[in-house]
Amino acid sequence: MNDAIKMQISAFVDGELPDAEADLLLRRMSQDATLRKQAAEYFEMGRAMRGEAAIPGMERLQERIAAALGDKVPDAIEVADDPAPNRAIRPLVGVTLAASVALLAIVGLQFSGGVADSPVVSPDTVADTVDDASYTVPAPVDDELVRYFQSHGATASELGANGMNTRLVNLRLSSEVVEEEDADSADDDAAVDETPQQP
Amino acid sequence: MHGTAVKSMLWPALLAGQLGCSSAAFAERVEPNEWLGRMGAAVQATNYEGTVIRIQDGKAEALKVVHSVADGVIREKVVTQEGSGLEIIRNGNEVHCILPDSKSVLVEEWDDQSTLFSTLPSSEVRFGNEYDVAVVREDRVAGRQAVLVAIRPHDEYRYGHRIWLDVETAFPLQTKLIAEDGSAIEQVMFADITLNGEIQASSLAPTYSTENFRWLDAPSRHVSRNVETEWHSTDLPRGFRAVATHGETMPGSEDVVTHILYSDGLANVSVFIAATDGGGRTGPSRVGGSNSFQAIVDGFQVTAVGEVPALTVQQIATSMTRR
Repeated sequence: MNDAIKMQISAFVDGELPDAEADLLLRRMSQDATLRKQAAEYFEMGRAMRGEAAIPGMERLQERIAAALGDKVPDAIEVADDPAPNRAIRPLVGVTLAASVALLAIVGLQFSGGVADSPVVSPDTVADTVDDASYTVPAPVDDELVRYFQSHGATASELGANGMNTRLVNLRLSSEVVEEEDADSADDDAAVDETPQQP
Repeated sequence: MHGTAVKSMLWPALLAGQLGCSSAAFAERVEPNEWLGRMGAAVQATNYEGTVIRIQDGKAEALKVVHSVADGVIREKVVTQEGSGLEIIRNGNEVHCILPDSKSVLVEEWDDQSTLFSTLPSSEVRFGNEYDVAVVREDRVAGRQAVLVAIRPHDEYRYGHRIWLDVETAFPLQTKLIAEDGSAIEQVMFADITLNGEIQASSLAPTYSTENFRWLDAPSRHVSRNVETEWHSTDLPRGFRAVATHGETMPGSEDVVTHILYSDGLANVSVFIAATDGGGRTGPSRVGGSNSFQAIVDGFQVTAVGEVPALTVQQIATSMTRR
């Protein structure tokens, strides 16, 4: 990828690319995963530089920027373009299909943090902790919480308020469930209502 | 085609003709709320086919989308361009998620008429005084003339929206979800789009033969609607009110959870109240623009979830109490 296209992507992410060029770039992005990845990196950098809450993988921001502009990406920096699910916090086999799928999908989408086994504290204590925070907001890794996200999405949709975000997240959740099923098929029978034939 | 749909598609041209003005001048003259109203109709009734770019949390993905509406039945095909090639085929309320890698099809039931873009604010600005709505400027998106409508919240308890609407049809060509600091949380934009063209049946058919795939039913939740509850928030952010209270049993559980939905007309927050056995979880979590906050109140697990800033779910969750 040459410098010109990088500058063009950077300008696009910043909203500074003229309309005609933006249209052309978008068309190229729709066909080129590398361009999309580059745009995503710049987008993430912009978030960090604006002082938003920490993003996984953004600890070494300066190196990331230098690497991006210099076409060198340090080995230690892993962009969140395709994060592997955190197997350490994946749900155990035996929970419901949707729940296990959902958890993995959310982790796989964008997060590295987790709150499993977090201690019970009072709301007041939690509020103090949150106010402190420039750290990463943890991902939901609890299957019950995932079900709440899904239920909220479904209920909001009944009011005509469901979002693309919610819908895609739910679908990803579901798809991940199936993929997880493959890996643990021996143990998942109780959680899946499997039909032998195509409807 | 439904009369509303026809009206939705023709109204800008007709009105522009009556006014005798250019599309740019026309776009500026139309009230922003009118744009949103027409957008709601366009989203429900427009056939479209194109490529969507979605950027969120440093991740960009492309989706091929085909959408048609005939006799009130939505048919849709979405194909992800990254990863395993997941396909989503919708025929009415039945949705098939095809996973070619695992040779599986997950069947889901969508009991609503929502579409990919139904998250966008609907017709009337019924969200009261919590937002300003304005037509910002003319722009071009996906090679089409668009008008940018901004929905700006008055406080930090809700997100803003930027919506680029096709001048001709009022269909949303690009959307941004805007955080409290003005940054974009999520962007969805068409790289290319064909509006109201003829959609071939083959365009909506699965790419893969699923004859030998496994078919799986997604588990469902059970809802008892409009139940009474003693729970309420003592510090609800301004503009939010309870719009529904359900009793729900989640998949994999027999316990009934109280589900209260709060809304300011645009942003929604769900509060789930569940009995605990002495344990429980606390603290924040996030998925894209959606935040959650969990707290233990009177021995109950209280969880607030919504596409709102973290501050909002935290304040609502920690202010829940029983009368």
